[in-house]
Amino acid sequence: MNWRKVRTFLFTVLALCLIPATRYYQVDEPLLRFLRGSLHVDPLSLHLSGEFVENNLGTELHADGSVTVRMIAEQYLFVPHCILVPAGVPINLRITSADAVHSLSFEGTEYAVKTLPGTISKAELMFSKAGKYKTVCREFCGPGHYAMRSELKVVPRDQFPALRPEERGNCAAQ
Amino acid sequence: MRRNDRTGFFDWSLTWALAFILAASSLVLVAGDAAPDRVPSLVTWTPETIVAASSGDAFRGMLLAKRCDHCHGSEGFSPVTSTPNLAGISALAIWKQLEDFRAHKRRSRAMEPIAESLSARDVEDVVSYYAKLPIYPDPQDNRVFPQGQPSSSRAALASRLVTFGDGDRGIPPCQACHGPVAYKIGVPSLANQNGDYVLDELEGFASGTRANDINQPMRIIAALLSEDERHALAEYYGAGLGLQPAGSTAKK
Ligand code: HEC
Ligand code: HEC
Ligand SMILES: [Cu+2]
Repeated sequence: MNWRKVRTFLFTVLALCLIPATRYYQVDEPLLRFLRGSLHVDPLSLHLSGEFVENNLGTELHADGSVTVRMIAEQYLFVPHCILVPAGVPINLRITSADAVHSLSFEGTEYAVKTLPGTISKAELMFSKAGKYKTVCREFCGPGHYAMRSELKVVPRDQFPALRPEERGNCAAQ
Repeated sequence: MRRNDRTGFFDWSLTWALAFILAASSLVLVAGDAAPDRVPSLVTWTPETIVAASSGDAFRGMLLAKRCDHCHGSEGFSPVTSTPNLAGISALAIWKQLEDFRAHKRRSRAMEPIAESLSARDVEDVVSYYAKLPIYPDPQDNRVFPQGQPSSSRAALASRLVTFGDGDRGIPPCQACHGPVAYKIGVPSLANQNGDYVLDELEGFASGTRANDINQPMRIIAALLSEDERHALAEYYGAGLGLQPAGSTAKK
């Protein structure tokens, strides 16, 4: 046994262990934020890159069964317009605004999440009963405010579609 | 002699190990990005964009617009109902559309090659010309706007959506973004737009063949509207009813 052979082997194993680490970063992790040189999301360019690009909005199903829901509030719509989530599962909501201050509330529940341009509002939600919940904007945001409504559809856990990692659930997916 | 050979061998193995690791990790990174981001438009409404898009030279634009006369009309009113009128529409709104045609974010067999042939400065100039054109009628030109009046029940159906939207379904009023009540940035006025063009666009948004709206407002709204409502809205705008004071047709 040569010490250099051992060293090469150990080095290779160590480096291989680092590969999976490149997969598991979160967009708002301090290091990445530092690398991006910005402390918040840019409300004007949500559609260009980052967490709130079109194909990343909606419900993301994690391997452990929990879900993350990403939404944009804009004058005078919530995007996506209809959200599909499983019942009885902790929901990690992440919402940002593209313009004014909005407030996402779910009728018939105590939840209300205020959202401002440039920041991500995070909330832990859980819907135990399946059914449809109207989502309503509770912060006056302009002349179309009163029509700023959309829908949250809660389905029993076994009816929630099995999503591939890059897929995002919405009402059309059911 | 043998010893030296061995040293050489080990150095190479280290190099190979490194090369392998680099290749493997880049493969993993690429695989991790399997779903590319869908970007609807490259435009962002930063202050710099707004200044650039609204500081064109209208006189130079007038000369450039000679190329567009044939389809969009010499006074910005098209002779065909399915081609958009450009007269008096906000410079930012048509600037964005031309940029989207240039970047192939909005598909159109007629407009993509034309927009591509314009330089960034040409686009700024030509939009500032069209934005300054008056919208009042001129007996000299061959405009087809306005088109025939819809029946009063059709007009009322459209007018309700324009003025109030439909809160139960989450449809905001058209006039909150398209004017005259308020304009969201980069949103074209529809008040002097041709009916068939409005219908084509609504159907394009609803089916996703037009998908260049930033953060999806029109794709969502058009998909929520029924076929009948889309037709009624196209008739309403095509007949010039959007030029009347807001809500004046709502009560009829
Ligand atoms: C061959 C006919 C033709 C010519 C020439 C032409 N256009 Fe167009 N243009 C169209 C058509 C058709 C559309 C509708 C596009 C669609 O949805 O497919 C359009 C759409 C547009 C739009 C989008 C309008 C809106 O409200 O969204 C703009 C802006 C525009 N044209 C500008 C121009 C300019 C500037 C020129 C001259 C440099 C020009 N066009 C020349 C046919 C033409
Ligand atoms: C939330 C704001 C908003 C509301 C409400 C809205 N629109 Fe729009 N609309 C837009 C935006 C933004 C665009 C420009 C899309 C782009 O950037 O390409 C647009 C574009 C359009 C176009 C294409 C115009 C053109 O010249 O290319 C039509 C037609 C249209 N809207 C019809 C409607 C109708 C009808 C309603 C009411 C039912 C409505 N919109 C309500 C935001 C809105
Ligand atoms: Cu709001």
